[in-house]
Amino acid sequence: MSEALARLEGVHKWFGDLHVLKGIDLEVRPQEVLVVIGPSGSGKSTLLRTMNLLEEPTEGRVWFRDIELTDVRTNLNEVRAHMGIVFQAYNLFPHKTALQNITLALEKVLGVNGEQAREGAMQELDHVGLAEKADAYPGQLSGGQQQRVAIARALAMRPNVMLFDEVTSALDPELIQEVLDVMKTLASEGMTMVVVTHEMGFAREVGSRVLFMDLGTILEEGEPRETFESPQHPRLRQFLNRVL
Amino acid sequence: MTTERGSQLDRPESPAEHRLARSAAVILGLGVASIGLALGGTVASTAARGIVPYRRLVEGLLSTPTAVILFVGLGLGAVAIAWGFASYRLMPTKRSRERAVAGAVLGIQAVVVGLIILAFRSFGNPELFIKLFFNAGVLEGHLGAFVRGAVNTIVLAFTGEVGGIIVGLFLAMLAMSKRAVVRAPARVYINFFRGTPLIWQLSVFYFGFAIGLGIRPAVDVGPIQLSAPYTIAVIVFILNTGAYAAEVFRAGIQSIERGQLEAARSLGMSYPQAMRYAVIPQAVRRVIPPLMNEFVILIKDTSLVLILGLAVGELELYTTAREGYSDTFNASFFTAAAIGYLAITLPSIWAVNRLERRLRSGLVGVGA
Repeated sequence: MSEALARLEGVHKWFGDLHVLKGIDLEVRPQEVLVVIGPSGSGKSTLLRTMNLLEEPTEGRVWFRDIELTDVRTNLNEVRAHMGIVFQAYNLFPHKTALQNITLALEKVLGVNGEQAREGAMQELDHVGLAEKADAYPGQLSGGQQQRVAIARALAMRPNVMLFDEVTSALDPELIQEVLDVMKTLASEGMTMVVVTHEMGFAREVGSRVLFMDLGTILEEGEPRETFESPQHPRLRQFLNRVL
Repeated sequence: MTTERGSQLDRPESPAEHRLARSAAVILGLGVASIGLALGGTVASTAARGIVPYRRLVEGLLSTPTAVILFVGLGLGAVAIAWGFASYRLMPTKRSRERAVAGAVLGIQAVVVGLIILAFRSFGNPELFIKLFFNAGVLEGHLGAFVRGAVNTIVLAFTGEVGGIIVGLFLAMLAMSKRAVVRAPARVYINFFRGTPLIWQLSVFYFGFAIGLGIRPAVDVGPIQLSAPYTIAVIVFILNTGAYAAEVFRAGIQSIERGQLEAARSLGMSYPQAMRYAVIPQAVRRVIPPLMNEFVILIKDTSLVLILGLAVGELELYTTAREGYSDTFNASFFTAAAIGYLAITLPSIWAVNRLERRLRSGLVGVGA
C-alpha cells in the first residue's frame, strides 16, 4: 500500500447523461495542501465530494488510507468521522449554537462526554478566533464567522484530512480573508488539505500542489508557482488569463 | 419639525384642507354609526326584551324602536356612501382619504345588512324562523349534553391528531426510504387512507369489522371506559390522520436543505442520527402550522361518528344536536352546535395564524 491518505482510482461519475468525472486517478499525500482549480462545471466539487463518498462514483474506487470506501462493507460513518469537509454554504445547524454545532458530533459520533466535548469545542472556536461567539446562533453570525465555525466543527473531530469545497465563494469580498487566514494557519500546522477554490492567490501562496481540471479530467498538475508562471496546457493558459 | 417620521404627509396645511380633513372624520363616524345601528343596534333591540321564550325575540324584532333604529341606520349609511364617494378624491392627506373611503364602505355594508333585515322583517316569516333557529327555550336542560358533546369532540379530535402524528412520523420515515421495498407499503397505506372517504373508513371498521366480524375493541382501563364504536372512531381517526400527517412530515423534512443532511453525515453521523439531531428538529417548526390545520379539519370531521351507534354519554357536538333535533324537530340545536364548534375552532385557527406569523418572523428560529 502506498502512503497516500486518500486515493482515487479510475473514478467516473455520471449525473444522468452528464459525464462529470472522466476517469480520475489521484493521490493525496500526508501534510500536503492540494489545490484544485478549474472553470465552473469542470467537476472539481464533485471530485472533492467523492473523496468522502458524499457522491458515490459510478465507476472506479476510492480509498482513505487502506480502507476502500467504495467497498459496500465499509462503515462510511467511521471513515467520515476522520475526514473533515467544509461546504460553500457553511451548512451549520441553524437550531444549534456555535458551540452545540461542534459538540453534537463529538458527543454522538465520538462518544466524548459533555464536559470534554465542551472543552474541545471551545478550543477549536478559539483556534478560529470565535471563542466569544460560542453561544451565538448561526443566524446571528456573519458569513465569514459562520464559515469559521464550520471549519472549527470539522477540526474538532481531529480529522486526518480536511476537504474545502469553495468555502469562500458565498462570502462578501471583505469576509473572504478571515476564512483564508484560518486555512493558512491550518496549512502551516501541517494539516493535510484538499482545497477546491477560485482564490488563485491562496492557491499560489499556500498550495503545495495544484490540479487544473476541465470537463471532468485533470489537465495539468504541478507545483503552484511553476504552474501559474508557465502553464503548459493551452486550456490552463486561457483559464489563468481570464481569472488573473 | 418635531413630528414623527411619515406624519408630515398626513398634515393638512391650508384652512380649506383642514375643513376637508375634518369632514373625512365625520364621514367615518357616519359609517361606523350606520353599521353599528343597522347590525348591532337591531340585534340588541331585538334581544332587549329577553330571548326566552322565543316570542320575546319576535316581538323585539317587530317593535317600533327596532324599526326606528333600522331606518336611522339605513339613512346614515346612505349619507356616508354619498358623501364619502363624492369627496374622497379631494381629501388632502392619505389618512383623510382612507377615512372617507372607510366611511363609505361601512355605509354600503350597513345598507345591505339593513335592507336584508328590513325585507325579512316586512315580507318574511320572522316568527317561524326565530322559532326554528333561535329558540333558546327548547335548548333548556340540554346545556350539560352540549358540554359533554364539546368534550367528546375535543377528545376524539385530540387523540386522533396525537396518535396520527406518531403514526405519520413513522410512515413518513418509511416513505422516504431509498429502498423501494420499504417505501411501497407506506405509499400504499398513505394513498389508500387519503384516497377513500373518512366516512367509508368508519363504516368498514364499524359495520364490517365490529358488527360483521365481531372485532369489538372496547377499552376498559381503570377510569377510562370506551365502548367499541367510540374506540373504533378513535382508531379510524388515528389511522386516517396518520396518512395525512405522513405527507406533512415528508414535505417538511424534504424542505430542509440537503446540505444539512450532508453536513451531519460527513461528520460521521448515521442516517437516523442525522435525521434525529439535524433535520427533524428543523422540520418540526415547519410542520406545526399544517398539522394544526389538519387538527381543525379533524375537529369538524369527528361529526362523522353519527353513523356509529354511540352511547348517550359518548355523543359529540353534532350527534348531540341531532338527538335534540330528533326529539323536537327544532333546528336551534344545530345553531347551538355551531356555537360549540366555533368556540373550539376559532381559538385553534387564531393560534395557527399567530404561530405562522411568529415562524415567519423567525422568532421561533432561535433557541428551543
